Amino acid sequence: MASVDLKILAVGAMTIALYTTVANIIPQLESDLPPEVDLAAGMTPEQLVEIGGQLFAGAGGCVVCHAETPGARAPNLSADYQGEGPIGVRCHARIEGMACKDFLYQSLVQPTQHMVEGYPPIMPPADRTLTQPQIWAIVAYLESLGGEVTVTAADIPAAPADGAPEPAAAAATGAGLEAMGPAEIVQVECVQCHLYEGEGVELGPALDGIGARRSADELRRAILDPPSVVTEGYEELVGLMPVDFGRRMSAEQLESVVQYLSDLR
Amino acid sequence: MNARAARLRWARRWALAPGLLLLGLTLLAAPLLGQVYQPPAYGSDFPLIGSRNAIWIVAQVHLMFAAFVLGVPMFAVVTEAIGIWGKDDRYDRLSKEFTRLLLVAYSATALLGGLFLFLLVTLYPGLFAYLSEIFHISMWVYAGLFFFESATLYMYYYGWDRWKEGWAKLGHLGLGVLLNVWGTAVLFIANAWLTFMMSPPADVAPDTSPAMVQFWSAFANATWMPINIHRLIANAVFGGSIVAAYAGYRFLKSRTPEERAHYDWMGYVGNFIAIAVFLTLPFAGYWLGREIYEYNQQMGVTMMGGFMSWLWIVQAFLIGVLFLAANYYLWLGLGRIPGGERFVPYTKWMLAVLVIGFMVWATPHSMIADRDEVAAMGGTHHPFLGVLGLMSAKNTAVNLMILTTFLSFLMYRRANKIPTVSWAKTGTLAQGTILAVCTAVVIFYGIYGYFVPTLVRIGFSVYQVLAVLFTIVAVIGLDLLVMRKAESRGPIRWGEMPERSQYALFVLVITFTWLMGLMGFARSGIRQHWHVYEVMRDTTAHAATPALGYAAQVISACVVIFLLMIAFVFWIGGMIATPTLVAHEEPVVVPVRGTDPGPDAAPGLGLDPQPLPAE
Repeated sequence: MASVDLKILAVGAMTIALYTTVANIIPQLESDLPPEVDLAAGMTPEQLVEIGGQLFAGAGGCVVCHAETPGARAPNLSADYQGEGPIGVRCHARIEGMACKDFLYQSLVQPTQHMVEGYPPIMPPADRTLTQPQIWAIVAYLESLGGEVTVTAADIPAAPADGAPEPAAAAATGAGLEAMGPAEIVQVECVQCHLYEGEGVELGPALDGIGARRSADELRRAILDPPSVVTEGYEELVGLMPVDFGRRMSAEQLESVVQYLSDLR
Repeated sequence: MNARAARLRWARRWALAPGLLLLGLTLLAAPLLGQVYQPPAYGSDFPLIGSRNAIWIVAQVHLMFAAFVLGVPMFAVVTEAIGIWGKDDRYDRLSKEFTRLLLVAYSATALLGGLFLFLLVTLYPGLFAYLSEIFHISMWVYAGLFFFESATLYMYYYGWDRWKEGWAKLGHLGLGVLLNVWGTAVLFIANAWLTFMMSPPADVAPDTSPAMVQFWSAFANATWMPINIHRLIANAVFGGSIVAAYAGYRFLKSRTPEERAHYDWMGYVGNFIAIAVFLTLPFAGYWLGREIYEYNQQMGVTMMGGFMSWLWIVQAFLIGVLFLAANYYLWLGLGRIPGGERFVPYTKWMLAVLVIGFMVWATPHSMIADRDEVAAMGGTHHPFLGVLGLMSAKNTAVNLMILTTFLSFLMYRRANKIPTVSWAKTGTLAQGTILAVCTAVVIFYGIYGYFVPTLVRIGFSVYQVLAVLFTIVAVIGLDLLVMRKAESRGPIRWGEMPERSQYALFVLVITFTWLMGLMGFARSGIRQHWHVYEVMRDTTAHAATPALGYAAQVISACVVIFLLMIAFVFWIGGMIATPTLVAHEEPVVVPVRGTDPGPDAAPGLGLDPQPLPAE
C-alpha cells in the first residue's frame, strides 16, 4: 500500500516539475517598470534615445503592434514604408510644415490624428500610462530610426511630483481643458475624432444634431464611460474614445459641455 | 529612616514628573496627532520571500480552497438531485461523503482568508484603505453571508439523515441549492473587488478620491460578470476533478472488489462532471478576453501579444494534457463496458486529432522576440509555425479537440447499448451527419480565416463555437431519443479498470490546480505595475511583473501547499467518516429502476446508473 502512496507522490511531483520546467525553458519576459526620465540629470539625446528604445520595446507596449513583420497590427516603424524610409525619415513628409518631433508627439498622444490607411484605429493615447518625459523619450527614439534626433530638454515639460500621467490635451495644445469653455472643448477637442459643422475628423459619429439623437444623460455617459453608449454602425470603434476625457474636465465643465451638445439640434 | 523615606518620595516625585508631563503632552497632542496621521502606503517588507510573494501565495492557496468549497457544493447538489430523481442511493451517499469534507475545508478556507486579510492590511495598508473606502458596505455583507452559508452548510450536512424521505428530502435538496446561492453571492462580491483593480470605471482617475467613486459602477465594472461566469464554471470543474482524484486514491487503496467498484464509479462521475463542464470553459474565457479588449485595447494586447504572450503557450500545453488525460481515462474505461471493444480501433485516430490539435494550439505566434531571435527565425514568425500560430488555426484545433472529447463520451455512453427504436439507424446517421457538418464548418472557417482581415477573422470564432455547442446539444438530444428503451449488452463491470487509469485522474486534478494558479497570475499580471489599473501605481520594489519562469515556481509552491493541505482535509474527513460503502455479504448485481438494469435509466450523458457488484 505504501507503494501506491509513493507512486501517487511521484506522479504528482513529475507533473508539477514538468509544468515548472516548461514555463522556465520558454523565453523569460519580465514586465519592467517604465524607466524614469530624470531631466535634472541633464540627459543627452543619446540617453533619451536609449530610454525611449527601452520604453518602445518594453513598458510602452509599442512593439506589440508595431512589429517588424508583415501583417503586424500597426505600421513597422523601423523599416522602409512605401519607399518613404523608416519613421525617422518619413515623419518629415507626413504633414507639410510640421516638424518631425511634433508629428511624432501628436501621433503618440492623439493617435487618431494621423491614421495610416489600411490599419485599424486601435492605438491608445500614450499619455494614459506614460509621463510626458517618457513620451518625449520615445519621440527621440523614433527620430533616431533613420533620422536626426531633435528632441531637447526644452521640449519636455517637468513631470508632476507624484509621477501621474498628465492630461493629453494640456500637453498637445499647450493649454489644459480647465481653461476652455464648452464651445472651445467641442471645437478643439471633440473634432479630433468627430465632424462638427464640416470641421474635424470623420471617425466617430458627427456632432451636428447630436442633441436630437441623444439625451443629456446619454451624452454625459458617452463622455464619462464611452463604451457604455455605442452608436449603431460604430461598434468596431468601441474603446477608441479616450476614457479619461470626461475626468479631465471639472464637473461644471462637463455639465456645460453636455448642455452645449444637447442644444445641437 | 524618615530622611531616607523623604528622599525616596522626592525621587519618586521627580521621576514621576517627566512621565506625567509626557503623558499630559501626549493627551494634549492626541487630537492633533489624530488629525495629521496618514496610514502608510506600505508596511514593512515580509521577511525572506517579500511582501508580494507572501500575499501571492496566501491569496492563491485561499482561492484554491475557495474554489473547492464553492465547487464541491455544486457537485453535491447535482449528485443528490440525480440520486433523488434517478432513485439511486449511491449518488446520495456520494453527495454526503463530499459534503462532510466541506466542514473541514471550510475552516481551512476561512483561516487562509483571515491570513490573507491580515497580510493585506499590514503589508499594503494604503491599497486596503483605498478599496475599503469604496467597498466597505460590500465587505460587511460579504462577512455577513458567511453566517448564512455556515448555518446552511450545517443544516445541509447534519440534516442529511433526518430529512431523507418525501418532501423533506426535496427540502434538503433546497438547502443544497441555498448553500450554492450563498457561495455564489460570496464569490461575486469578492470578484467585484479584484475586477475593480483590473478594470476600474473610466471616470476613476489617480486623483479621484475613493469616497467619490460610485459604488455600483465600481462593483459592476467591465470584467466583473465575465470573471463571475468564468470562475463559477471553473469551480464546478475543480470540484469534479477533486472528487475524481479522491476516488482514484481510494480505488488504488481498495482491498475488496466492492470498494474498487464503488470508487471506480465515483471517479467516473467526478471526471465526467469535471470534463463536461470544462468543455464550456473556453467559451467563457473567450468572453472574458473580449471584454478585456473592449475595456482597454492595450491591456488586451499586453495580455495576448505582449510580455504575457508565452503564457498562453504554457496554458495550451496544460490544456493539451487535460484533453489527453481525460480521453485516455475514457478510452481505458471502454474495456470494462460490454460492447466497448468495438470503439477501441477508433481511439488511435482520435488520439491523432488530439495530438495534432495540441501541437497547433501550442504553436507560438504573436510574441515579443529580440533581434537575435528574429534573425534566427528569419522574421518575427517562423515561416512554418507562423501559419499554425494564427488564431484561425488555434480556434480550429481547440474546437476539434472539444468535438473529439465529446465523441469519446458518446462512445462511452453508447458502448453497452443496443437501440431498439425503429428509426435507430436514421437517428445514428443524423448524429453522424451533424458531427461531420460541424467538423466541416469548423475547418471551413479555420481556413477561410486566412483570407480575411483580422477583425473579420475574430468573428469567425463565434461561428465555430456556435457550431460546436449546437452539435453537442443536438447529438445528445438525438441520443436520448435513439437510446430510449435500448437493450443492454451487459452491465458495466465497475472496478475492472486498470490502475494506470487512476493516475490520469491525479494528473487531471494537479493540472487543473496548476492551471488555476497560472490563470490567477495572468489575470493579476496584466495590471502590470498598477495596484488599480491606471489609477494606483505599485511603487514597491516588487512592482515589476515577474517572468513566467519565476511565476511558475511560485505557482508550483502554491499547488504543493494546497495539495498537502487538501490531503490533510481528506485525512481528517476520513477520521470522522461514516462508511458510505456498506458491503453485502454476497456480491449482487443491483438493478436500477426495478428489475430492468437497462440503459434507458440514464439521467444524462454517460451517467447511467449501472449495476454495481455488492453494496
